[in-house]
Amino acid sequence: MNPQPFLKLDRVIHEKGRLGILSMLAASPELSFIELRDALGMTDGNLTTHIRTLQQAGYLSVTKSFQNNRPLTTCALTAAGRKAFANYINLLEQIIRQARPE
Amino acid sequence: MESNWAAEHLQVIRTLMERAALYRRALAPIMSFNGIVGLAAAALGWALQVGSPRAFILFWAGVGVVAVAGSFLLVRRQALKESEAFWSPPTRRVTQAMLPPLVAGLMVSVVVLVRAGPAAGQPDKLEGLLWLPLLWVVLYGCAFHAAGFFMPRGMRLFGWAFIIGGCGLFAGGAPSWAHPLDYGQGIMACFFGGLHLAYGVYLYFTEHRRNAA
Repeated sequence: MNPQPFLKLDRVIHEKGRLGILSMLAASPELSFIELRDALGMTDGNLTTHIRTLQQAGYLSVTKSFQNNRPLTTCALTAAGRKAFANYINLLEQIIRQARPE
Repeated sequence: MESNWAAEHLQVIRTLMERAALYRRALAPIMSFNGIVGLAAAALGWALQVGSPRAFILFWAGVGVVAVAGSFLLVRRQALKESEAFWSPPTRRVTQAMLPPLVAGLMVSVVVLVRAGPAAGQPDKLEGLLWLPLLWVVLYGCAFHAAGFFMPRGMRLFGWAFIIGGCGLFAGGAPSWAHPLDYGQGIMACFFGGLHLAYGVYLYFTEHRRNAA
């Protein structure tokens, strides 16, 4: 088997928590911090760390606002994040295709 | 081995993407509210003898406005409680999916109201218009069926109940023994009151458990 696709997998995305965040944001234009936390079953601290990592990689944009005097943090994929996620999916599909008997 | 792992990853991604796109507000209070409004309105309409086509259409249009406004208030309250945006992408999707059949129902009602002219105010003319509440029922079912693609699976079945029920009654025709006023209000009470309330009660006992799972 050609190990190339596996080696090309993006290490930032290739982590369960961060992959979950990107998967959810790929299906929705934006999601709040609480929606992500509840859907992924993460702690506040854990989610914050992953969001920061994704933000530093340029994959995520975070908007902080107020709604009825309550802070509202929303996350969205950047164009780079969407592209990186699509590449990641393509590589996974490539791995599966390679392993499939001809 | 690697391919198994990759396939599992893709499955997790698919599940999470579906979950993100799904409408997650608690529907039990919304359904129960609409059921109670429907039953109360039908009882009121029956008590006030709202029997002419014009009065019937305007009365139920008013009830519709109350039901929609109340539903949005309940959604907004839930959103605020959970520190989430009210007009979230799933809410937008559900609203957009429901709009075409609801707008069609509204337009047909307006046309009927305008075309019927002065006769629309006569109580005995409702008999010829009993297809209208059934059309509302069917279109409402279509709206819920469309929204069901962005909501829990049961919502599509709920839509089908309206569609099949409405079409069935249309095929059967109004029974000769029933007074048009009673029949018209009865259709509205059964579908918009009874069905909503029954589904609301069902969701009350099942929704929390399903969301927790």
